Amino acid sequence: MVANCVAQTALTVETIERAPKDNRVPGNEAVWVGIYAEMTEFGLMFLIYFIAKVHYLEMFSDGPRQLNIIAGTLNTLALLSSSYCVAKAVACVRANRFKLAERWLWATIAFAVFYLFVKSWEYHWNQQQGINSDTNLFFTVYYYIAFNHFLHVAWGGGAILWAIFWLKSGGYTADDHQGLEAIACYWHMIDLVWIIIFPLLYVLG
Amino acid sequence: MQVISHYRLLDYVWLTLMAMTISSAFIAEATEPSLWATLIIAVTVALKGLLVANRFMELHNAHPYIRASINFYFCLVPFMIVIVYLFPEFLADMTRL
Repeated sequence: MVANCVAQTALTVETIERAPKDNRVPGNEAVWVGIYAEMTEFGLMFLIYFIAKVHYLEMFSDGPRQLNIIAGTLNTLALLSSSYCVAKAVACVRANRFKLAERWLWATIAFAVFYLFVKSWEYHWNQQQGINSDTNLFFTVYYYIAFNHFLHVAWGGGAILWAIFWLKSGGYTADDHQGLEAIACYWHMIDLVWIIIFPLLYVLG
Repeated sequence: MQVISHYRLLDYVWLTLMAMTISSAFIAEATEPSLWATLIIAVTVALKGLLVANRFMELHNAHPYIRASINFYFCLVPFMIVIVYLFPEFLADMTRL
């Protein structure tokens, strides 16, 4: 029992010691400039969506029903899971568990590839239903937002691959892994944007 | 006292996010557009965004400006979703060239 208590205390102490410091900038300042720029860009797209919607209510009410909700849901589950894997990888690096961190990052890549595959299939499915970017204004907005996000997932995946390479090269330590945190924050931003895109394009009628 | 480690907490956050996503898909399939459905979806967007930002992105104890700006984003967009549902004609008049 004492051993259990000691182990629990050690775990707690380690958790406290390894927890990120208060009032810090996660990652670094540079990545936050990028994140704010990206979120502003997508914010403008959401604004365009809202303005277009109030002018073409019926079109924007019918649009989501014509899209493949299963593809949209699978991609949402995949991106949320990828974000979870990145968060786990960062926690593992802080605990000096680098091999496990690498596995979590590979799992992130697997979810990213799954997302890209489902999205590509969805575009093919749309074509079979006679849906393309000039079908109507809803689908123009849909393709513009969704394809833009698709590109972000693709190059964000490249950044995760870079993090894996750097991790394997011994570039991150439990005390110094700012680069990994920056890449993780960028990846979470991609997920955050999709959290908004999913209801706008697939759910709200 | 039971201490939940950050590592374990991530599991619970992930499960909550999965459940909320599946609920949203169910709403999309099973319900007609209504104020209640719109409110539920808006609250879901806010909760999912705040969970990812504060727990996965670890903004809960980050610099207050960063935390506040991302939290504000995830309050503003759900607010817009509800406002667009409630006052489409007014907003259309305001944005007509």
